[in-house]
Amino acid sequence: MEHSVGEQTLRRWMAARDMEPFPFQTEVWQHFREGRSGILNAPTGSGKTYALLLALFLDWMETVPDWARLRRNGLLLLWVTPLKALATDLQRAMQDACDGIGMPWEVGLRTGDTTAAERQRQLRNLPEILVITPESLHLLLSRKGYEDTFRRLRAVVVDEWHELMGGKRGVLATLAISRLRGIAGERKDTGSCLRVWGISATIGNLPEAVEVLHGKDHTAAVLVRSDLRKTTYVHSVFPAEVEQLPWAGHLGLQLVDQLYEVLARSRTTLIFTNTRGQAERWYHALLDAYPDLAGQIALHHGSIDRSMRHWVEQALGEGMLKAVVTTSSLDLGVDFRPVDTVVQVGSPKGVDRFLQRAGRSGHAPQEASRIYFLPTHSLELAEAAALQLAIREAKLESRQPPVLAYDVLAQYLCTLACGTGFRPDSILPEVRSTHCFREMPASAWQWVLSLLSTGGSLHAYEEFRRLVRAEDGTWRMADRRTILRHRLHIGTIVSDTLLQVRYLNGGHIGTLEELFVAKLKPGDVFHLAGKTLAFVHCKDMTAYVRRSTARNGMTPSWLGGRIPLSSSLGDTLRTVLQEDGPGKDCPEIRFLAPLLDLQRERSLVPGPKDTLAEYIRTREGFHLFVYPFEGRLVHEVMAALLAYRLSRQRPISFSMAMNDYGFELMSDRDFPLDAEQLRDLFRPDDLLPDIQASINAAELARRRFRDIAVIAGLVFQGYPGSLKQHRQLQSSSALLFNVFSEYDPDNLLLAQAYQEVFDQQLEEPRLRLALQRIVGSRIVLSCPSRLTPFSFPIKVDSLRQHMSSEKLTARILTLQRQSR
Amino acid sequence: MDTRPVSFAGEHLLLHPDRALYWPVRQTLLLSDLHIGKSGHFRKAGIPIPAQVQADDLDRLSGLIRDFLPRRVAIVGDLFHAGINQDMEQFRTWRMQLPALSFVLVRGNHDRLSEATYRDLGIDLVCEQLSEGPFDLVHQPVPRTSVARHTISGHLHPGVAVRTRDRQTLRLPCFWLSGYCLTLPAFSRFTGLYLVEPGPADQVFAIAEDTILPLHG
Repeated sequence: MEHSVGEQTLRRWMAARDMEPFPFQTEVWQHFREGRSGILNAPTGSGKTYALLLALFLDWMETVPDWARLRRNGLLLLWVTPLKALATDLQRAMQDACDGIGMPWEVGLRTGDTTAAERQRQLRNLPEILVITPESLHLLLSRKGYEDTFRRLRAVVVDEWHELMGGKRGVLATLAISRLRGIAGERKDTGSCLRVWGISATIGNLPEAVEVLHGKDHTAAVLVRSDLRKTTYVHSVFPAEVEQLPWAGHLGLQLVDQLYEVLARSRTTLIFTNTRGQAERWYHALLDAYPDLAGQIALHHGSIDRSMRHWVEQALGEGMLKAVVTTSSLDLGVDFRPVDTVVQVGSPKGVDRFLQRAGRSGHAPQEASRIYFLPTHSLELAEAAALQLAIREAKLESRQPPVLAYDVLAQYLCTLACGTGFRPDSILPEVRSTHCFREMPASAWQWVLSLLSTGGSLHAYEEFRRLVRAEDGTWRMADRRTILRHRLHIGTIVSDTLLQVRYLNGGHIGTLEELFVAKLKPGDVFHLAGKTLAFVHCKDMTAYVRRSTARNGMTPSWLGGRIPLSSSLGDTLRTVLQEDGPGKDCPEIRFLAPLLDLQRERSLVPGPKDTLAEYIRTREGFHLFVYPFEGRLVHEVMAALLAYRLSRQRPISFSMAMNDYGFELMSDRDFPLDAEQLRDLFRPDDLLPDIQASINAAELARRRFRDIAVIAGLVFQGYPGSLKQHRQLQSSSALLFNVFSEYDPDNLLLAQAYQEVFDQQLEEPRLRLALQRIVGSRIVLSCPSRLTPFSFPIKVDSLRQHMSSEKLTARILTLQRQSR
Repeated sequence: MDTRPVSFAGEHLLLHPDRALYWPVRQTLLLSDLHIGKSGHFRKAGIPIPAQVQADDLDRLSGLIRDFLPRRVAIVGDLFHAGINQDMEQFRTWRMQLPALSFVLVRGNHDRLSEATYRDLGIDLVCEQLSEGPFDLVHQPVPRTSVARHTISGHLHPGVAVRTRDRQTLRLPCFWLSGYCLTLPAFSRFTGLYLVEPGPADQVFAIAEDTILPLHG
C-alpha cells in the first residue's frame, strides 16, 4: 500500500537519521490511526517514544491539511512520566523531532520543578505536547475551568506504566485518565477520539497491565509487543574459596579487590546495593583499599543532598566518573551513555529489578547489557544461577495493582472540588470505570462523600468544613486556605519525617530519617554522603554535625531496605539447587559444590517438589528450620503462624528468625515433630483467624495508616521551609489511628489499612499459595547433629538483632567453630 | 484504679493512672495539657475527629474530682488548644456544674485567649509560675540542679517505650521524675507522646491502662 504523504514525510525524516520504522512502530501507528488505545511493550532505548509521538504526528498530518503552518493548536498530547529526571530529556527529544519534521509545535514540561511563571505562560499559550508527572496532572485538574485545557486533547501516553501500576501513583494516573475520557466524551466539535496508551517494560502480568490502565474500556485496548530483545550478560564474582557455613554480609567487603578489577576493566560502572547503608559502606571500603580512586568515584542515594546528586548525575553523563555506588535511586531515569558495566551487590531479590539494573548499561538498541553479580554470602551465588535461568525463561515478576484505595479517591475528589467542583452522580461512573474502583460498593462511595462533607457517616459535625454542596448540586471546597493546603499535598508519595543534616557553619549534607537521629547522642559518629560526621545537636528539624576523623562510625540504617525475595526468583532458586537439575552446569552451582555437599551430608538439598525442615539441637536449645524459599515477609508470617499453632497444642513459647530462604523457631524445650504433623501445621484452613491471633495486625495497620492518613488529607506533612505554620494542626497518624479505632471503628480508611497489611505486607495471597504448595509437597524432616549450611545464615541473622557488631563477629566465629 | 504514692521534695503525692496527680495536704488535683478545643480545631480544618474524644477527657476529669474531692484543680499549662470553637461551649457547660471548685491555670504556650475569657470561665490565670510549698508549678520543665526549689510541669507530653516479652514495643504515657523536676503526662488522650530518655537516677512511672508501672532509668 502507498504510504500517505504524512507517513512519507516521517519516513524521510527517519531515513535521514539512519532509522527505519520497526514493525512494532508501524503497528502502533495503524492502531492509533484507527482510534484504538492500548499498551506498547518495548524495552528502553528501542524507539518506544517515537512509536507514539510519530503516531500522533501521522494522525495530525492525515487529518489537518494545514499542519505545517498551524500553530497554537491547543493541548493535543499529554505525556505522563513518573520521573522528573526523565521529563527534561523527553521534552528535548520531542522538541527536536517537531523541529526536524517541520511540525510547528511546542513541547512543554510541567513537573514539581517548573516555575510559577512558566506554568502561567503554559496556561495562556498551551503547548501542543505537555510532559507531566501524575501529580502535576492532578494539580491541573484542581484549577477552575480545567476542562478547557483538555478540550482538544487527542492522546494521553503513560510512560513507564509498569513502574506506576503497582502503586498508588498508578491510581492517580487512572483517575486522571477517567476524567480526561469524561471530558472527551462530552465534546462534539471534533470527530477524533481520545486514545490512551501505556508504555511498559516486560512484566509477568502484561495482560493485567492493559486491564488496569484501561479499566472498563480494556476489552477494546490492544497490546503491541516489540520483538526486540535485549541481550544481558551475567557474570558472577567468585570469592577465593567457598565458605561452607555462609552468613549474610560476611563476604561482601572481602570482595573489594575483585570489584576493583571489574572497575579497572570497564569505562564507567554503576554499583548497585540494596540499602543506603550498604552503599555508604562500599564507598568507604573502595576508598580505603584504593585511595587512588578518590575523586573518581561517587555516592548517589536518596538521602544525599539534591544538588550533590545532581552533580553526580551530570558527572556520570559526561564520563567524568569511574564508578558510582548507588541504590534504587539510579534504578530509573536518564541513561548515562558512558556506563558500560553494572555491578549488583547482594541479592537483587527479583528478576525484573536485576534486569532493570543490568539495562542501565549498554542501553542502545543493539548493544548488550553487562552485569556482575557480587554475592554477600556464598549461598547467594545460587541466586546468580537462578537469575540467569529466570532471564532465559523470561520468568518475570507481576505487579499487583492496588484496589479500593479510598485515600486516593478522597484526595481526588478534593482535587476536583478545588476548582470547578464535581457532581457526585456524574463523577461516580467515571470513578467506577477505573480498575481500582470497579468493585466499589455504593455504601463506600457514600461514606467517602460523607467523610469529605460532614466528617463521617455516623457523626455530623456542625463546624466540620472541607467540601460544601452548592445550590446547583456541585461539590466545592469550602475556603481558600483549605484549597491552598490541599493543592500543596496532592500526591501519594509520603516521605518519612526527614531531618536536614548540616554543618554547624551551615553547609548542607543531606537528610536523615527522624528515627535514626532520635537515637544519636552528641559525639556519635556516623557516615553520610561518604563523609564521616559527628553529631552535635538537633534543632528545628535540622541535625547539626561537624567533620570527624574517627575511623569507625555507624552507618545509618534506613527504613524500608528489606525487600523480600520475589516468588519467581524463589521458585527458580529451588529448581537450580536440586541435584542434576538445570543448574548442574552453572559455574556458580559447581563452585558451591563443597557447600552443597556438606548440606547433603548433614541433611538434604531440597528439589523443587520438596519442602525441607531441619530439627537441630544445640547448646542454646531446640531449633526447627524450614526452607520454603518464599521471601522474608512470607516467612515472618509463616513462623508466627506455626508458633501459634504449636503453642495451641502444647504450652511452649518460641523465638523466631528468618531470611529469604527459610525461617527458624527456637525453644528451650524439646518439641519433637514428624513430617505429617508438620504438614498439618501448614494447612491453609482457618488462615485469617490464625494470622490475626498470631501477629499484631493492629500495630502493622497503624504503620500502614500513616501513608493513608497523609494521602487522604488527614495529616499535614508541613511545607518545606514553613514548618511552624500549622503547628496547631499537627498530629501523628498513630494518634488518629487510635482515635478512629476507638470512636469510629467503621472508618473505611482503617479498613483499608488492614487490607493493605494483608495484601501487601503479609502478602496474604502469596502466603496462601505457598502454604498450599508446601502441604502438597514432599515434606522431608531431617535431624542433623549440627547446624547446616542452610540454617547457619538464619541463625546468624537472629543474633544480629540483639548484638553490637563487634560482639557479633566474635559470636559468629564461635558458632562456626562449634558447627564445623 | 490504683494510685501510686511518691515522695517528692518531702511531700506525699499520689500518681493516678487517669493522668493526674493529687496533693492531699493541699487538697489540690494537678494536671497538664488538657488541650480543650483541639478536636474542634481539627474538625474546622476538615479532619473528622469525633467530639466524643473531648467529652471523654472531661468525663475522666469529673471522675477524678469525684474520687478525690479536691478543693482546687491546678493545670500547669495548655488548658486550651487554639481559638474559640464549639468545644469551648462543651467545656463551659462542664465548668458551670462545678462552681465551688477553684481552678488555677499556669499559662502554657497554647493558652492565648484573652484574660477576660479565663475570668469568664472561673479560671485564675497565672502567667509564669505558681509557687506552692516546696514547688514551683510551671508549664515548661526547667532543669534546676542547684536550687532546692522543685518544679512540677507539663508541656512535654512525656512517654516511654516499653518492650514486651514478645518483642513488641509499647509506647506509654508517663510521669517523669528527674532530679528536682516532675513532668506530668498530657491529660488529653488526643495528644502525642514525646519519648523521654531517663537518666540513671530518674524515675519513670508509666501508665498502662489503669495501673502505674514504676520503671527506673
